[in-house]
Amino acid sequence: MAVTIEWYIALSTILFTLGALGVLLRRNAIIIFMSVELMLNSANLLLVAFAHHLGDATGQVLVFFVMTVAAAEVAVGLALIVAIFQSKKSIDIGDVNLLRG
Amino acid sequence: MGNLILFLILAVIAIGSAIMMLFSRNAVHSALWLILNFATIAVFYIILNAPFLAMVQITVYAGAIMVLFLFVIMLLGTEQGSGVLATRRGQLWTAAGLGLVVLGSIGTALVRIGGSSVQAAAADTSPRVLAMILFENFTFPFEVTGILLLVAVVGLYVMSKQLRKG
Amino acid sequence: MNLFGLAPLLLILPLIGVFFNTVVGRRLVAADAPSGEKWSGWFATAMSGSAFIVAVLIFFSLPTVDYHAQTVVLWDWFNMPSTDFHVQWAMYFDTLSATMLLVVTGVGSLIHIYAIGYMHGDKDFARFFTYLNLFLFFMLILVTGNSYLMLFVGWEGVGLCSFLLIGFWYDKPNGVGILNGDAARKAFVANRVGDFAMIMAMSLTFWVFKTLEFEGVIETALHMFEEGGKAAPISFGMFTAEFQVVLSAITVLFLIGATGKSAQIPLFIWLPDAMAGPTPVSALIHAATMVTSGIYLITRSNVLFEIVRETGFQMAGIISVPDLVAVVGACTAVYAGLIAFTQFDVKKVLAYSTVSQLGFMIAAVGMGAYVAGMFHLITHAFFKALLFMGSGSIIHGMEHGHHHLHDHGHGGHGDDHHDDHHDDHHEDDFDPQDMRTMGGLWKKMPVTFGVYVIGSLALAGIFPFAGFWSKDEILAHAQVNEFAIFSFINIMLTIGAFCTAFYMTRQIKMVFFGEPRHEAAVHASESNRLMTRPLVFLAVLSVFGGFLNTPNFSEPEGYGSDYASEEKYEESGDHSETEAILAAGGSKTTFTLALEHWLEHSIQSFELTEEGVVHMPHTPIVLQYNVAVTSSIIAIGAILIAWFLVFRGYPMKPEDDDPLQAAPVIGTVWAFFQGLPLDSLYMNGWVKRVFLPLGEISNLIDWDFWHNFVHERLIRDTFVTSADFFSKVLDPLGVDGAVNGVGKSLRNFANGLRSTQTGNVGNYALGLFLGVAAVIAYFVFAA
Repeated sequence: MAVTIEWYIALSTILFTLGALGVLLRRNAIIIFMSVELMLNSANLLLVAFAHHLGDATGQVLVFFVMTVAAAEVAVGLALIVAIFQSKKSIDIGDVNLLRG
Repeated sequence: MGNLILFLILAVIAIGSAIMMLFSRNAVHSALWLILNFATIAVFYIILNAPFLAMVQITVYAGAIMVLFLFVIMLLGTEQGSGVLATRRGQLWTAAGLGLVVLGSIGTALVRIGGSSVQAAAADTSPRVLAMILFENFTFPFEVTGILLLVAVVGLYVMSKQLRKG
Repeated sequence: MNLFGLAPLLLILPLIGVFFNTVVGRRLVAADAPSGEKWSGWFATAMSGSAFIVAVLIFFSLPTVDYHAQTVVLWDWFNMPSTDFHVQWAMYFDTLSATMLLVVTGVGSLIHIYAIGYMHGDKDFARFFTYLNLFLFFMLILVTGNSYLMLFVGWEGVGLCSFLLIGFWYDKPNGVGILNGDAARKAFVANRVGDFAMIMAMSLTFWVFKTLEFEGVIETALHMFEEGGKAAPISFGMFTAEFQVVLSAITVLFLIGATGKSAQIPLFIWLPDAMAGPTPVSALIHAATMVTSGIYLITRSNVLFEIVRETGFQMAGIISVPDLVAVVGACTAVYAGLIAFTQFDVKKVLAYSTVSQLGFMIAAVGMGAYVAGMFHLITHAFFKALLFMGSGSIIHGMEHGHHHLHDHGHGGHGDDHHDDHHDDHHEDDFDPQDMRTMGGLWKKMPVTFGVYVIGSLALAGIFPFAGFWSKDEILAHAQVNEFAIFSFINIMLTIGAFCTAFYMTRQIKMVFFGEPRHEAAVHASESNRLMTRPLVFLAVLSVFGGFLNTPNFSEPEGYGSDYASEEKYEESGDHSETEAILAAGGSKTTFTLALEHWLEHSIQSFELTEEGVVHMPHTPIVLQYNVAVTSSIIAIGAILIAWFLVFRGYPMKPEDDDPLQAAPVIGTVWAFFQGLPLDSLYMNGWVKRVFLPLGEISNLIDWDFWHNFVHERLIRDTFVTSADFFSKVLDPLGVDGAVNGVGKSLRNFANGLRSTQTGNVGNYALGLFLGVAAVIAYFVFAA
């Protein structure tokens, strides 16, 4: 029984859902960030799996872009977290609620 | 068959490490579990005929990004935090419900499709080919991404100056 | 030469005078009375004089357009196509209005000059000339208007000016000012009655003829009469009326209008009281011009009156409208003449005389003698203005004498006017207008005496003064026509002529002859030149004015003996004949009947007789020697009787009775007429029996019903209740409730929405994820 694309879809979906749950359930901003990275990776995995499945390397090129954006995002995001920590002395997103109506 | 077993083993490791990341109270542990996850995915890349990407995954994600994470965690000293269950109930159950919806939906779709997909011939995925694709078909996005990185660098520089002042 | 383009100046010039004196003159007089008065008075006079020059130019322009009526349109006033109601602000010039123009502006200018002298020293000098110019403006609108509505504008305007000028001294002390105001109101209210009739007449005219322009009305009226006859139905929507009935209604309403303005029975009561105004006003408005507008109106509408006469329609089966006009005029002539017998106020005598003479004119136009009526109007304007201004001069002299009496040490007061005496002198009961305080003035005021006698002779109708010709023409007209009612009018007018001569002689004797009966008369002095010069000028006109329309002294060649014969008359009135006479120039007939020939271009019924539509009674063109002799004998007889009867027992005290008053039977009649029967009839019959009880009732209605019940209970309480309901119930719960409710619900809604904005990132992320899950589920399950 060959490992078809469906397996990867399933795996990727699970990883994505876990990442999403991490974003939704954790209050530590850094872990939320890591969960986002997990979601990005699940997407990357699916891109690569489809590239393999379709025999087209373009999918892999897209992964480069995702990685680049992710790297930039992490750099900026972590800087923001540091800034928040400096003003709030906490990185608990429960404490960051200036937008509350 | 051997491929499937390998896939399943790796999938279990990936999912398990993701779950551990999700549930670890200690942020450092979460980061470490995530590194394991990324590594597993790098292995998947090799299996999927993307060795160059696997290398990049290891170096960029596990090597650069996650080190950055750990660095910040340790810098701020916020490794100890509340766990998943600290979240409010409504948020927790809604999120869990939605997760099940997503999984259920995709799962249903996969069951409907069945395992009838046909594998295409393996493509040449050498760095040279990738570079050809990148610079022939994605020149403009490439440039935009470069600008994005530049903006991020400038932004970080400004922010760091602000931080120093504050 | 055609100078009708100058016509607007006739209206503009007096208006300039009005504005000048309103804005500038008033301040000039206030700043420096002597020079300010010169500016104010002479400017107004210059405006009036310029208007006179324009009138003369227009007068001489009429022959160049072959005497055809000229219309000068200034602008549109009303234009309502849906109702055909189109009235233009237009001036209409024919020989009739040109004649009136000359009289109004000519006599008016002389009176302006006179008034500069008369009003000298009055604190409201400029206001007086403002009103005088304003009056001139409206009077010129009246005589030049091309439609009944334009005429009515002037009609109302002169009424307003009359009101303003009668009450000019409204602020005199000791209640005199209030009396003056009462007189002004009386004039105004009495005129309203006539004006109401005018409005009704105009409404009817427009309904029937669909136009208000003189030419259009006359044309349409003749056309309707020719087409439909006298019984042509006129539809009034709900009902129809015969043409003759409607036309009778219109003309009788015109008559009522004329009785108001021209002071005829029963509305003449305002005119004697109008003497409260300054004497120049009495001369200009209440003798020469405004009061003649009724005659002008009827003359202007002569075709309508003649059609009514032609239909023979008799109101209530008794009398036709033109006959009624004549009877009203004749009765007024006698009635007012009798009242004039009994008056002691020098101006009241002249006032009743004016009413009487207006009666002559109305009687003339009622009989169809329009030219004779206009002729008498012109000559009367001359000599009655003269007499009034003469009386003003007398009053002035008496005032001066009275002033002198109380102010021996004060020199240089010769020009002081009686009106400001109240400021610096105590008020006694001396009345400078009471003839009983006068006497022997002929030595003191020779010029005034001279011109006054001339005026009186002219008024009395002594040959060859102006009144002789004009009055005799009316009397002759009454005599030669065979209409039954004319005999009655002839008799009445002859009595009126007797009265005229009598009361004028009485007045002259009381004023100028005998011994002075009061200290003031002893010290009276002649008025200044500004006042006497216009008098002399008018005296000349009073002497020669009669030659405007001298009849032929013998039968003209080829006219036959039957002057009453229609055919012959037509020949004499024929255009070609007129032109032949004019062309002949210098022949014997050049001077005869000049006014007649002049006016026949305007009084169209003369021409229409040829078409056999309207048969006018005709005025004899030859002097009626029997009439002339009779009236002369009557006039001279009246003068002699009066001369020997009045004040035989000199010296007479002011409080003494008139000899007539003391006589047994005549005294009763005297007392009756002195009691101003119509005034007391109004007072006892109308005011006390009807008006005051009605006033009580209306008070009752007004206070108990209207004020207490309707206003207080019905309106006020309802209002308060409803206001309470609104302010206490509807507003807070309804209006405020709605407004606040919207706000409140919005706020609640916003609060609800706001609670979704927790600021918690997790919540936002949950929302995001909800969307993701929904999209995925949608694609999987629904798509």
